[in-house]
Amino acid sequence: MKAIEARGLRQRFGSRTVLGPLELSLDAGDSLAVLGENGSGKTTLLRLLATAARPSGGELRIFGLDASRERTELRRRIGYLGDVAGHYPALTALENLEFFCDLHGVERARAPRLLEQVGLAHVGRRRAGELSRGMGQRLGLARALLHAPELLVLDEPDAGLDDDGRELLTKLVEGKTLVFATHDRELAARLCRHSLDLSRRALEVFR
Amino acid sequence: MTSFLRVVGAVARKDLRTELRSREMLPALGQFVVLALLIAFFGFDVETGGLKIAPGVLWLTVTFAGLVAFGRTFAAERDQASLEPLLLTPASRSAIFAGKALAAALVLAACEAVLVPAMGVFFNTTVFSLELAGALVLATIGMAGLGCLFAALAAQTRARDLLLPVLALPLWIPFVVVGGRAVQVALGGGGEVNGALALLLDFDILFVVVASLAARFVLDD
Repeated sequence: MKAIEARGLRQRFGSRTVLGPLELSLDAGDSLAVLGENGSGKTTLLRLLATAARPSGGELRIFGLDASRERTELRRRIGYLGDVAGHYPALTALENLEFFCDLHGVERARAPRLLEQVGLAHVGRRRAGELSRGMGQRLGLARALLHAPELLVLDEPDAGLDDDGRELLTKLVEGKTLVFATHDRELAARLCRHSLDLSRRALEVFR
Repeated sequence: MTSFLRVVGAVARKDLRTELRSREMLPALGQFVVLALLIAFFGFDVETGGLKIAPGVLWLTVTFAGLVAFGRTFAAERDQASLEPLLLTPASRSAIFAGKALAAALVLAACEAVLVPAMGVFFNTTVFSLELAGALVLATIGMAGLGCLFAALAAQTRARDLLLPVLALPLWIPFVVVGGRAVQVALGGGGEVNGALALLLDFDILFVVVASLAARFVLDD
């Protein structure tokens, strides 16, 4: 089954084309690293895949569903971590996750389990605003995984992560359908089977 | 329906908990309320015309406190970049909106709880009555519905602080006019208060329904 199918996918801001036209196809269970220089459109592509924005042109289907029209259904199946994690600084790490459990309609018991998984169980009662950048990124990963999504879309999830954090990231995304943007080619090769370099508009296979 | 109420409750609880911990608005709004009354006390002849101007002072203060309380509902989400994760959940837009409007309405109600007794002190009279409380509650509900809708719209622009009053104030006029009448009657100005309260309830139903429906489109990109 195809997880992602894009045909002539384009995004414009005013008269400026910031992405595409782009052809893309990714099977379920497969993984794609999105590479490219600053401003090459990585975040724009990931926001389109996460249904955070509507494409200006072309067609984008995720799990066979139209990404512009069937967004509510897709949001149940996609886990997204943006370039800014966007936690609630006055709430604790645990409360942040419990809040998103309520919004996704999943049981709150998942929140402490995920905190454990991302290695934040010991700071669960600490306010998100007091967490380091790396911890905030781990919390963002936990939030993206909260509803057991079928597709993970991660925008530079390695930013701010230490070596342990990168190791954890590798474990967390293993075997999942994954699209992630990074500047780290080594990590991209470790996590993904395919890469898409938006600067060169080239689709490559790592191995 | 259960999931709708669950989201409303979660969003309202989150906003109130955030406010209670960060104390971003409540202390400032409480201070604003007292200062507004102080200015009215020195600016108007409270000794002779106190009861005549009291409804005007009350609604002016509620209106401007409302602009601040409702304006922060979505602006805070924008500032901390949490609006996108919030909207990328499958939760109903109307439920998210209702939760935020409920929390903002409770913050404004807390201000009113300071305002009414403070007015009693400044105007040297017993201001509180059930009719006054009814008028305030009903007006707060309707104003919160419209105010949060426009706050969501304004939060997407750079000139949000300017845009919110421009959009909200004209549509709040019915609440101020009818609410002012209800307060005047409640303070012993003569006449019948039930009609004004019923009209406020009608406005609430109309504006809350319209705002909830419109929120689905405003909160979409």
